Amino acid sequence: MKAYPVAKIIPLLLLAGVWQAASISGLLPVSVLPPLTDVAVALAAMLRSGELITNTLASFARAGAGFLIATIGGIALGLLMARRRVVERALEPILLLIYPVPKPALIPLFMVWLGIGDVSKVAVIALACLLPIVTATFNGARSVDPILVWSAKARGTSERRLLWRVVLPAALPQIAAGVRTAIAIAIIVLVSSEFISSEAGLGYLIFSYGGVGADDAMLAVVIYLAVLGFLLDRLYLSGLRRLMSWHAFAH
Amino acid sequence: MPLLTRIVPVAVILIAWELVARTGSVNPNVFPPVTEIVMRWFAMFGDGRIYAPLWGTLWRALAGLVAAIGVGVPLGLLMGRARWAEWFFEPLFSFGFPLPKIALIPLYVSWFGVFNLSKVMLIFTDCLFPMVLFSYHGARGLSTIYLWSAQSRGTRGLRMLWRVILPLSLASIYDGVQVSVVVAILVAVVSEMVSGGGGLGELMIRSYRYGDVRTAFATLVTISLVGFALFKLAQWLRGSLLHWHVAEA
Repeated sequence: MKAYPVAKIIPLLLLAGVWQAASISGLLPVSVLPPLTDVAVALAAMLRSGELITNTLASFARAGAGFLIATIGGIALGLLMARRRVVERALEPILLLIYPVPKPALIPLFMVWLGIGDVSKVAVIALACLLPIVTATFNGARSVDPILVWSAKARGTSERRLLWRVVLPAALPQIAAGVRTAIAIAIIVLVSSEFISSEAGLGYLIFSYGGVGADDAMLAVVIYLAVLGFLLDRLYLSGLRRLMSWHAFAH
Repeated sequence: MPLLTRIVPVAVILIAWELVARTGSVNPNVFPPVTEIVMRWFAMFGDGRIYAPLWGTLWRALAGLVAAIGVGVPLGLLMGRARWAEWFFEPLFSFGFPLPKIALIPLYVSWFGVFNLSKVMLIFTDCLFPMVLFSYHGARGLSTIYLWSAQSRGTRGLRMLWRVILPLSLASIYDGVQVSVVVAILVAVVSEMVSGGGGLGELMIRSYRYGDVRTAFATLVTISLVGFALFKLAQWLRGSLLHWHVAEA
């Protein structure tokens, strides 16, 4: 996990240059791909009007709520499954059953049960993010070096303290990988659910601008979303590196 | 874990669901009993109304997947072995990877129309990323001993790619296929939910609009079974195709 080298931006700039040249020279009709400068102008206008910020916040609230529920619930369930046989026996078959369901396909059903508002979206996002986190936590907690657990137990550490001070820290690298997957899934399910029904959010913005043929504004939001996703991932990785600098597995 | 103990928790949930739905304390049109969903599922196969949407989703998913394999594997292998290709394409693919490709649906609809082509292209785009990246990592991590020994016998260029680099990277490429199978079904269903076109995704949205929860549920079960079956098929193919491979030993 190195810092992102500046030289890697060159191909992206090249591509942007070709795009701009092709649409200015008329090689690409504006109806197919508007010039990149138009997209930048649309982006600036949306930033100025505050439209982009309000919709980003609406999306973030939904994705964040679902993601948070999934992280807390997923880590708790994963730890419980790893430490209690009964819980593992009860939950593993159910998780196996939910695993092959493409989560965005649940959106229509959740809309029947929970309404077309935010609750159904948050619920689908939470469920979709839950599975990778539970699996990662369970596998991480399972593979904790038994010597660590024994030596803690030999010193009379209580089960709760053991979980909190030994098992959880030792399982952190795997949990962190599961959470990273969950962040990517949250964004996919968020955009899908906002395409299907919503009055606010980045998915709604893309869909409504695309619907009226305002391709420059639509592309501006798509590129903005790509950059946002990319930055979120980088931010997470660098935060993680700082957080885990103490860890034996950290490089 | 023995099969019986695995069935118990699922059975408990299903029986509890059935009982709650049968007591009449919930609206059966919102929360129908399990048995009614199962009956609807069989009925949909019985009268054949599931086949057209099932086929629609399946062929679009597979067409997009096959196209992504056809383009992604050569490109990924090239990136793994040729410096210039790696320099140009690697940043593009690693930057585009976190973008939810589903966000491109409106753009693709305006480029390729609302019908099949825009959906197949979207599935292709979404599967291209894992195919390229897994092929690239497979080709990049090759042990140079194999390459040197092939080179010393005069193997060059395309023949090298086809006879040496491709077979050695197959295990990693196959990981990409397994990821892509799941992605293909998911994107097919979501694109149908958003822009119609007569697949399982559209069937789900339509039954939601008509308030037909039984059909929506039965369709969801079908979608999950298709995804699971394709994934298992890919897994089985891997075992039978790659048993000779160094990475499998």
